[in-house]
Amino acid sequence: MNKMAPPKDRAQVEEVIDEASGKVYLPPCQIACPIGMDIQRTHGMIALLPLDAQEAYDQIIRMGDEIYQKNPLFPICGYICGLCEAECNYKDQTGTIRRRMLLRFLSDYYLPYLETKPALASPTKEKVAMVGGGPAGLMCAYILSKKGYRVTIIERSSELGGALRYIPQYRLPTNIIDTTLNNLVRIAHIDVKYGIKMGDGEKTLDDLKNDGYRAVFIATGTLIPRPLTIEREPVVGVELDGVVFGLNLLFDVNQGKVSPQLFQGRRVIVVGGGNVAFDVARTARRLGGDVSIVCLECEEKASKDGIPADVEEIEGGSEEGIGITYSRGVEEIIGEGGKFKKIKCPQCTSVFDENGLFNPKFNYSDVVYLEGDVLLVTIGQAPERTFYQQEGLLDERGRLNIDQLTLMSNRKEGVFIGGDVRRVGFAAEAMRDGMIAAESIDRYLKGKNLKSGREKGHESAPIPSRENYKPQPELVWAPVEERLNFEPFEKGFSLEQAVEEAKRCLYCGPCRSCKACVALELQPEIPEIELDKDLCISCGNCAFYCPYQAVKLDSPGGVSFDLAYCKGCGLCVAKCPAMALELENWERERISDLISQLSSEVQSPKILVFRCQWTVCPPRDGEFAPNIRTIDLPCAARVDNLHILEAFQKGVDGVLVAACPEEDCHRGSGSREAQRLVAKLKERLDQIGFEDRLHFCSVSRRDPEQLDKELRQFRQRIEAVVSQREGK
Amino acid sequence: MIVTAPKPLDEILDSICPYRKVLIAGCDGCTQPPRGIREAKTLSQLLELGGKLRGKDFQFKVTTVVKQCDSFLTASALKPQMDGAEAVLSLACGAGVQTIAELFPDLPVLPAQNTHFIGVEDREGGILEERCTACGDCLLARTGGICPVTRCAKGLLNGACGGARNGKCEMDPARDCAWELIFQRLEKQGKLDLLKEFRPPRNYQLMAWRLTP
Repeated sequence: MNKMAPPKDRAQVEEVIDEASGKVYLPPCQIACPIGMDIQRTHGMIALLPLDAQEAYDQIIRMGDEIYQKNPLFPICGYICGLCEAECNYKDQTGTIRRRMLLRFLSDYYLPYLETKPALASPTKEKVAMVGGGPAGLMCAYILSKKGYRVTIIERSSELGGALRYIPQYRLPTNIIDTTLNNLVRIAHIDVKYGIKMGDGEKTLDDLKNDGYRAVFIATGTLIPRPLTIEREPVVGVELDGVVFGLNLLFDVNQGKVSPQLFQGRRVIVVGGGNVAFDVARTARRLGGDVSIVCLECEEKASKDGIPADVEEIEGGSEEGIGITYSRGVEEIIGEGGKFKKIKCPQCTSVFDENGLFNPKFNYSDVVYLEGDVLLVTIGQAPERTFYQQEGLLDERGRLNIDQLTLMSNRKEGVFIGGDVRRVGFAAEAMRDGMIAAESIDRYLKGKNLKSGREKGHESAPIPSRENYKPQPELVWAPVEERLNFEPFEKGFSLEQAVEEAKRCLYCGPCRSCKACVALELQPEIPEIELDKDLCISCGNCAFYCPYQAVKLDSPGGVSFDLAYCKGCGLCVAKCPAMALELENWERERISDLISQLSSEVQSPKILVFRCQWTVCPPRDGEFAPNIRTIDLPCAARVDNLHILEAFQKGVDGVLVAACPEEDCHRGSGSREAQRLVAKLKERLDQIGFEDRLHFCSVSRRDPEQLDKELRQFRQRIEAVVSQREGK
Repeated sequence: MIVTAPKPLDEILDSICPYRKVLIAGCDGCTQPPRGIREAKTLSQLLELGGKLRGKDFQFKVTTVVKQCDSFLTASALKPQMDGAEAVLSLACGAGVQTIAELFPDLPVLPAQNTHFIGVEDREGGILEERCTACGDCLLARTGGICPVTRCAKGLLNGACGGARNGKCEMDPARDCAWELIFQRLEKQGKLDLLKEFRPPRNYQLMAWRLTP
């Protein structure tokens, strides 16, 4: 189609709200993402990247800039977070879309550019302080700075990042954290005060007030490793030499305080079954140790007592030679000469009770002893609550007394609390708390209602189906013998791999909350279906053929469209026998006008191509040769026999329909239906002596030469037809 | 639905050949296969192209009727469109074609479809199948809702012929044995005793040619 660059705001995503329930429709990945990143939109954009790296670069940077607006820590998320993948609708088919790897792909392009990214406008509004420079505090500071507040982060250590600094470098390289955070501080004009401790006779909240801060967000994380207990009593022997908290090891290793051969020739036992325990075990393995894990949980991940660590961690650890002893607790740590020697491990018969609470049960008659030189305890962390107590922020049972919707303290106005200290979770969950607090602080300082309109439910749209589900790409890890060091061992996606993977996405969410195609200027806006009820004959074709369940048959007659589900493919329009439907921007008239215009200007032998807009991107200028013209359609599904015949009537000699291969079709059935339509029409054209004038071809973006090749062949055929006709 | 199939285009071209101005009348009555305005327009385009190759310059006008078998509806829909038409090409079943022919006795009315049967549509499989021969003596109440008159190749009324193999008809292995289907349905409904009842040979006098509604 003739495209005009859409104004910027038209490409912005919209909230699609179900009128009846008031719930917001989103794809499940986006609902799963704690900060609600526009996942479908980025997948749509990656899927349409040009395969030439140079050409793709600008587009990727623009994409990164857009993601950055919502999530300035995304270059880090691409290495560590895959929460969205757990909800992906592809999971039950051939495996989730590898969103984390796609984000990392963007991150690897974007990080070098980040150094030159312009800073935000200098903030001028009230001063706000964040206590704690982890993901929650950083996120809150960034959003408030964008809103014009002067932000300060008070950090007790000498660097920002909080819990991110505990993640082993083979998973998250230090330079990724440093580049992301240093630039964030610069871009958002964050004033960071290092080495300042709150509480314990040092700084208080009143001090911050006196310093002119009008609101405070406290997110101090969980610094204290949880000690081993059995039957709610501390396990004896923790004071022995060689018994260490795993968390401390991780921090020391990242700080470069540990010899690379620390555990050479030593047997290391790690207690714990979570991801952090695996971080500790795999770190110890990289320090030369002979490592094994012992955990309460059992091997069957799906059971209520299943091991909580990610499958990738368990597989990776096993490849690296880390054995796991499942379903064992630690009853006693036994030493010899003040040094750790072994642990006594009774069988764990149940971890969680019927209420889902952590309440392990043991069979003390079934006991094994595990011997080792070092014991690393990694069974969780707890917050340091003294400061909160001193400030009177806890309730009588010692819990944080905050409003869970706004995160404001119920005890002190203008004080907000979030992140791990509120509930231990993933980095992205802490970032969500930072987002919530920033919104609350903005409202608080403007004197607005803190709560109104903030409670939103989410709902997934019906899952689009496919005839063929493409296999999930394997993660590529360096072989074990090459990866027992602190270099990242997971290979990132190449441009081509990223495009292929993004193309697997089913685009489960509504178009209006995505608009990738609009942002890429494929179409000026999301087209709507218009129904002329007077023409409708209630045949139900639209409802039957719609790939998205967007059409409902009404009783006793007629149909209604749910535009939240409609993706504007136009299949219903092509299938409507009563011509009662129109697709906005691709109206019959408009396509007819284009056919008239193109057929009059194109040279003989005249060839017209109806092309699915997803087959080639960026769209070429529509000209291949003086005798070929192209009309782009929203999907091959919108190819209409009326338009094909109209082209012939207007003197076009040959019509080519170019669609995506069936398995790549964004709409599931669009390409297949177009193929059927062409086959049927060809049969009838043959009956009147119009043989060989119409051709269907599927062209893949994987092979950009393919369309040119198809066109060359088709052109030869049409030339032959025309010369034969003229010879007659 | 009355199931029809498009006539070959060269046959239609032959039939409209003597005329220049032709009205193509679609019918929305039976929705499958679609014979409405889109098909009328598609047909006009195809015939125009085919006409050109034969050196013929047709002038088509296209329209559609809610139900061509209803003479009142058809008259009111077509009368305003008829101006100057030398012939009408109807996309309806034989009943529709004859309705127009009766309404406009001076005009040649030509069928664009071959009418096959009263049937049902399976959109999933893209198939239309016969379900009723309009025998005038419906016995579906006693055969579990499956019509042996249409679906049994021999039109038997008192059970299977014995020639079926693996549930398929001996005349055409693609076709299910209607009596086997009837047996299974009645067995499921616990009404096998219905089969014990003798049915006299079909009375062709019951096939009415005129009724008062």
